[in-house]
Amino acid sequence: MHEIAFKPLLRQAGLIVLGALILLWTLLPLYHMVILSLTPVGEGFAGKLWPDAPTLDNYRIVLTQDNYYLSRFWLQLGNSVLVAFTSCVFVFALSLTASFAITRLRPRFAGFASHMALITYLVPATFLAIPFYQVMGSYGLLGSRWALIITIATFATPYAIWVLQQNAGSVPRELDEAAEIDGASPWQIFRLVYLPLMVPTIVAVGAFAVMLSWNEYLYAFLLLSDEDRITLPVMLGQFLSDDSAPWPLLMVSGVLYSLPPAILYFLARRYMATGLAAGSVKG
Amino acid sequence: MQQTLAKAPVHAPAESPVPTASSAPAKGQTLAKALSIRHLDKSYALGGGRRLPVVTDFNLDLAPGEFVTLLGPSGCGKTTVLRTLAGLEDFESGEILLDSLSIARLPAHHRKIGLVFQNYALFPHMSVFENVAYSLRLRRVAEATVRSEVASALAAVGLEDYGPRMPGQLSGGQQQRVAVARALVMHPDLLLFDEPLSNLDAKLRVQVRSELRRLQRRLGTTALFVTHDQDEAMSLSDRIAVMKSGRIEQVGAPEEIYARPATLFVAQFVGKVNALPATILDEANGQVEIEMLGTRLRAPSPATGLPRDVLALLRPEAVTLGGPDSGLPGIVEDIEFLGDLTEYGIRVGDTLVTSVRSALGDAWKIREGDRVGIGFKEQTIHLLPRTEAAV
Repeated sequence: MHEIAFKPLLRQAGLIVLGALILLWTLLPLYHMVILSLTPVGEGFAGKLWPDAPTLDNYRIVLTQDNYYLSRFWLQLGNSVLVAFTSCVFVFALSLTASFAITRLRPRFAGFASHMALITYLVPATFLAIPFYQVMGSYGLLGSRWALIITIATFATPYAIWVLQQNAGSVPRELDEAAEIDGASPWQIFRLVYLPLMVPTIVAVGAFAVMLSWNEYLYAFLLLSDEDRITLPVMLGQFLSDDSAPWPLLMVSGVLYSLPPAILYFLARRYMATGLAAGSVKG
Repeated sequence: MQQTLAKAPVHAPAESPVPTASSAPAKGQTLAKALSIRHLDKSYALGGGRRLPVVTDFNLDLAPGEFVTLLGPSGCGKTTVLRTLAGLEDFESGEILLDSLSIARLPAHHRKIGLVFQNYALFPHMSVFENVAYSLRLRRVAEATVRSEVASALAAVGLEDYGPRMPGQLSGGQQQRVAVARALVMHPDLLLFDEPLSNLDAKLRVQVRSELRRLQRRLGTTALFVTHDQDEAMSLSDRIAVMKSGRIEQVGAPEEIYARPATLFVAQFVGKVNALPATILDEANGQVEIEMLGTRLRAPSPATGLPRDVLALLRPEAVTLGGPDSGLPGIVEDIEFLGDLTEYGIRVGDTLVTSVRSALGDAWKIREGDRVGIGFKEQTIHLLPRTEAAV
């Protein structure tokens, strides 16, 4: 009897400890970032758990661009927003039409095409950096934000197609056929039936594309050079190249930069769970 | 409830060298049209140049306003026929005529055919009103007309007040009626039903099928219904076409299909049947004398000549049970309680004969192992050639 009652308790305790460790592991860098952002610039490397004199002045400096490194903070944040938004539009345009064509219009070689899209993930993105650099150079796009947008869309679209394709299976084909009998063209079926019913997955895919773009560093660093065109992660990277860089300001930028995806995730969390899970199991 | 639906303006299809149903003048048209399916062949590609025939030389005629059911097991091709008529499937050869005008090459939305799907296919993100109005909106019908047409269609299925609701807020029966309203709103010349009752529970199914039949009679629209449920087919249809392996086995009124099946497959598909080997001894005065289970019986003479060796088909209700001395002796081998009826398996020599009796109000209780005497209602015996019946 004792053994029966004890086992679940032990199991639950183990899970709580494991959960606490994972939480600590996840929150520690965030804590470090927030604490440093509140630390006066001169005490950035004091290594204290809580600053002696916490200050919000660092936030004022960043928001008013009152520092050499941050003289284009808003412009570069705007670049990040622009690249993320435009990449997302590209990913939507490509993946939604492709997944609709593959799953609903079912042309010849549709299965082959969708598999080929996923094959692009067999090569690590890092290995493709130089080829991408050469391709963008050939098209005269080096230094242009379009180069980064096209690159991000290239990496995000196959996954987006796959997730949308899997979820499209849960939308009965009879809906398309009913619309067809009613007189809807494929475009009208796409617009009036497919898109509204795919909203949860579309939100999830959009959030994925935005976050991929938001966190992109390597390609942004490689393809963009002009300080007026680089995204914020590239600018933040420049802090590391200088020994005397004000780390608390780097952390403030980090805190501010992490807010939009956090808000996005919060707003889309319901769809993130259902939309992305749809890709894991075929319904 | 509204008796008829007003005509909605629809776009005419593109000009076609072949006269088509929807290019016919609208004036003077009635809702009911005759349907003719001629030599329809349909197969699916299997790869490597091979094809799997699913519908073979299919012929069927529906009179204006008639309700015909395609009845058959899963995979027999009945839904394929329906989808082909609706324009959702291509076919290799054949012709589809509505009032003698070909619709075979028209796109689905120009055929003036309404289809009610098995799962209703209602758009879950649109209200009931918008679901019904969808086809009218696609055709850019004026808003006032849309409103009156949708109201008429919803009234026809008794859902006048359900327009603002979402499909998810309706019961299965109500969803099914919305699907019917959506099919009706375009004033179809032909209504197709693809097992629309199969998702309903047993009690609701009986209720909805009665409503469906009443509605079809009231509107007078020619209807083709697909099901694998023989009760549904029997209760709904003016005629039934029983299908097997892509072909029609028999077409006839429900009573004819049940009482005089053309093949053993039809006999077995529409209900339980005793198929007993028999030998024809003599034929005279519209009756044949047969020997069956070692006894001589008189059965109605079939319309066509039969070989000597036949199968005698008897429904379980045509086999009567009595005391051990009252007929052909047998032993009760198994008893199955079916609710309204009780089914008995009676062993007569090597043969198991099935009989049914009303489960209630019978003082004589029969138990397994009891000796009984069985009799036959000879006028219900239906004879089939033994070789053909065995197919």
